Amino acid sequence: MKPTPLYGMMAEFDTPTDLVAAAERAHHAGYQKIDAYSPFPIEGLAEAIGFQKNRVPLVTLIGGIVGGLTGYLMQYWISASSYPVNVGGKPYHSWPAFIPVTFELTILFAGISAVLGMLALNGLPMPYHPVFNVPRFAFASKDRFFLIVFSSDPQYNSKATRDFLERLNPRSISEVPS
Amino acid sequence: MSATHMNPADLMAPPVTKTIQQRSLMIGLVFAVIAVAGAFVRPDEFFRGYLLAYMDWLGVTLGSMAILMIRHLTGGGWGVVIRRVLGAAMRCLPLMAFLFVPILFGLPRLYVWARPLDSITDKHLQSHLQEITKSYLSVHGFVIRAAIYLAIWNLLSFLLTKWSREQDQPGARDNSPRFKAVSGPGLILYAFTVSFAAIDWVMSIDPSWISTIYGLLILIGQLLSAMCFAVVVERILARYKPMSVWLRPSFVHDHGKWMLTFVMVWAYFSFSQWLIIWAGNLPEEITWYIRRLHGGWGGVGLLLALFHFAVPFIMLLSRSFKRDIGRLVWLAVGLLVMRWVDLLWIIEPNYSQTLSVTWADFVVSIAVGGIWLWFFFRNLNSLPLLSIYDPDAHEVLEPAHE
Repeated sequence: MKPTPLYGMMAEFDTPTDLVAAAERAHHAGYQKIDAYSPFPIEGLAEAIGFQKNRVPLVTLIGGIVGGLTGYLMQYWISASSYPVNVGGKPYHSWPAFIPVTFELTILFAGISAVLGMLALNGLPMPYHPVFNVPRFAFASKDRFFLIVFSSDPQYNSKATRDFLERLNPRSISEVPS
Repeated sequence: MSATHMNPADLMAPPVTKTIQQRSLMIGLVFAVIAVAGAFVRPDEFFRGYLLAYMDWLGVTLGSMAILMIRHLTGGGWGVVIRRVLGAAMRCLPLMAFLFVPILFGLPRLYVWARPLDSITDKHLQSHLQEITKSYLSVHGFVIRAAIYLAIWNLLSFLLTKWSREQDQPGARDNSPRFKAVSGPGLILYAFTVSFAAIDWVMSIDPSWISTIYGLLILIGQLLSAMCFAVVVERILARYKPMSVWLRPSFVHDHGKWMLTFVMVWAYFSFSQWLIIWAGNLPEEITWYIRRLHGGWGGVGLLLALFHFAVPFIMLLSRSFKRDIGRLVWLAVGLLVMRWVDLLWIIEPNYSQTLSVTWADFVVSIAVGGIWLWFFFRNLNSLPLLSIYDPDAHEVLEPAHE
């Protein structure tokens, strides 16, 4: 039977502080493709694995702008071009009256873009993920903290990476089959 | 670093606050002398400027009290780090009660309803005033209600301060349940009293005009003023120990989010009022806006739309901007100036059809501000900068991920 290619090397830690310290050291050691798992959000962890920016805010902003323009132009087209109705002698193009719908559509489009953009960028829903091949990874939703170095990292080398992870004093180290 | 290992002296405000305190007092007194001298020469202009200055600085004071009560209900590190700053601003309430007295001397100059009815030439207004001065807008009623508002605010401030001081003693019992018990009803009381105060003190300048959202508009302005002021003070404190150790980007981020929220709610209320009155277009309502959009006041209105809403809103959308106290503080300063412009735009057009900003608008605002700041820094120095037995104090004292 052909050995399955490795997805990465995973180290298990007991405390969030250990995980953040380990992630920082791995990042400083030059590992770029690393990730960390914990049962709850940890302040500073994202920065520690070198995570800089996510693009969900940008997607949300674009969604909001598109929504605002849609709302305004739709009303302009309805009230001033397609079916003009004289309301209280006000001009057909009465911008104050257009603002509430413009605002609502801005929020609606921004909200939908945020959800869909988040799903598109993080790849969810994801029916299969290799990290679950490690039985101990079940503890990641209880009280253990995991750091993984992906085999796609240019610096990845099964021996050197294992030695490096050993020096971080983890509770266990596992190879993650893909 | 835990609470038990702290030296009380390490928790105090840095010496620089004493310097600012003295300079504020000097500036305040110099301008107060000019203002008082001006009051004898140009009393009308003085009282208008005084009302503007009073409402502006009252906003920082009451807004701080409200944010402090919100913090007592929600908890969180963002609030612990500015809790004592908000508290010191809130404890300027006795000063604000004292500073209310001069307004009583200017009632007929400020409010048309406080003048003798015979002196009013407009018959329509005269008959309207005949009714409302009997029921609500009488000088007696005004004074009694003002005393009640100021008493309620001072009582809330007194209780919150007293328990906060008690909580600083080692081994004292946790006062958090008491804070919560007062803050919930306190916020409701604050909303009602500040609405009534806004109607009495500002809206009644034009007694034939009413807007139901007016009180909330003043209220949200106060919250914005207070959060901007807290950001300015935390910037000054963060140059020195101990605040330089405590203030984290995540707390600044939260303060920036509050600013964004208040800017948006202010815009939402302002626009709602405008939209409803614009859509109705009734003579007794629209006149308020006609005055404020013509004769040069329209430019001020545009200034407000741009720099009280649009520009701050866009800047505050940026995450990195909100986390950087060095940049956020300049927006906070700008918004504090815009709060003053907003109140100017609300108050002054009642007296002048064309754009007019008098000497008193500046001089009295600086005089009251100087004295207020002196009092504020005095308060700030009287208690430690951190309430170390606050249940959330560990968020400030300990590294984030423990």
